[in-house]
Amino acid sequence: MNSHQYFTERLPLYAAGQLNKEERIQLDRHLETCPECQADLVLWQAVGSEIQASNSAVQAPAGLAEQVLGSIHTPSPFQRAHLRTFNLLRIQAYLVRREMWPSSAALMFIGVAATLLARQVILIQYLAPLIAAASLTVLFGPEHDPACELTLATPTSPWKVLLARLALVHGYNLILTLIASLFLLLIIPPDLFWTFVLSWLGPMTFLPALALLLSIWTGSGNSVAVVYGLWLLQFTNPNWLPAALANLLVPLMEAYRHFWARPALLVAAGVLLLVVALWSAGRAAPRLVRSPV
Amino acid sequence: MLVDLSLEGRYTLCKSMTNTDNDLALVQRLAAGEDAAMHELYALYGQRLYAYALRLTGDPHGAEDVLQDSLVAAWKSFRTFRGDGRLLSWLLGIVHHTALKSLRHRSQPISSEMEETLQSRLPSPEQHTEADEQSARLRTGLTSLSAEHRAVLELVFYQGLTLEEVAQVCRVPLGTVKSRLSYARRSLRATLVRQGLEETG
Repeated sequence: MNSHQYFTERLPLYAAGQLNKEERIQLDRHLETCPECQADLVLWQAVGSEIQASNSAVQAPAGLAEQVLGSIHTPSPFQRAHLRTFNLLRIQAYLVRREMWPSSAALMFIGVAATLLARQVILIQYLAPLIAAASLTVLFGPEHDPACELTLATPTSPWKVLLARLALVHGYNLILTLIASLFLLLIIPPDLFWTFVLSWLGPMTFLPALALLLSIWTGSGNSVAVVYGLWLLQFTNPNWLPAALANLLVPLMEAYRHFWARPALLVAAGVLLLVVALWSAGRAAPRLVRSPV
Repeated sequence: MLVDLSLEGRYTLCKSMTNTDNDLALVQRLAAGEDAAMHELYALYGQRLYAYALRLTGDPHGAEDVLQDSLVAAWKSFRTFRGDGRLLSWLLGIVHHTALKSLRHRSQPISSEMEETLQSRLPSPEQHTEADEQSARLRTGLTSLSAEHRAVLELVFYQGLTLEEVAQVCRVPLGTVKSRLSYARRSLRATLVRQGLEETG
């Protein structure tokens, strides 16, 4: 870099008063011999005083700090949605039938104990969907919710209430089953763990979803009877029937068992049923407000 | 006394090239979420930050919005302030990027309000002197520069930042700061010459 260019670059700093004494003396010496830099310095000094002058008329708005703090302390829409969801879950956790929490856990504990004693993992596979289905049939409706009419009178729509309860109860059941599966690691090889989880996850999505939908449409008792029937049907053996009938039924039973052994299909169908259930929760309101007596 | 709010105090605080203990204590309190510390920060730096936001946006409402958004953003990240550079340049950096972001979202580069603000600052015809004319030409020249170039001039001449600090605030290499200064000089010179010719001719 030649010295002229060096000094040209230092000129704004000189005009802004940012150079030290030594640098200023050097630059002064160059200025004496360089008309171009003299002209530039005049320009920079004018720019400096222009900027200073225009800023001296500027007054920072009073009370802005207050506004900033106001907007800091106002929760964002995202935070508000979080807070609303949390409150809904908290309130619904209080409203669902409380005996369900310990009874699901106790049943699962018995299931795990029996499985470990008998060394038969299939016991948990039978039991988990039944527990999950039963607990979902008592989620909604005047028989199970003493505050049902109040719930329906609140601005929160029935499907949101149902979704909140569903998330709580089904989430609880899934966690219980996962913990139970961890215990089963005592008798199954670790590399089979996820295969085992998948084997109950499918039925545990489909069966409770069906139970929930039926309970909204026909009431809890009917719903439990139907879904338990459907679930247990796959374990029946048609061979005790007359030979002609058995021959007809065996392929059907094969297909039926095959259906319950396909996790992806069951999860997809279960999610579909849940959507229908949530949709019909709003539509089924007249049945729900009818007094249980 | 915790904070020196006198003009001299403010001046020395902004002129010093390192963070004072006061700055660091203030940042700690802000990181801890103390409301009173935000008031103190605004009393110390509000004027400078607002002037910078106004220089970049060119309209008072826009500048106020930019400053508010910047202080909210700063509030969330005071924990990450390590004290490597000055608190003032850190804050100016936040204002700089918030302002440029808001300018990008604005359809017109210069709003009509900005023109009005400019007009109101121009002296009345009776007060016209040669110096005023020169000053008015310079103002036109400054406003016709891009926000990036105005930013560099404001940071050097009003905020008293070194070129290295300017580079940090604008997040560009030092060479870019130098070339922006050089471009601003040529552009201002051209505006002055053109306007001078128009007025005499």
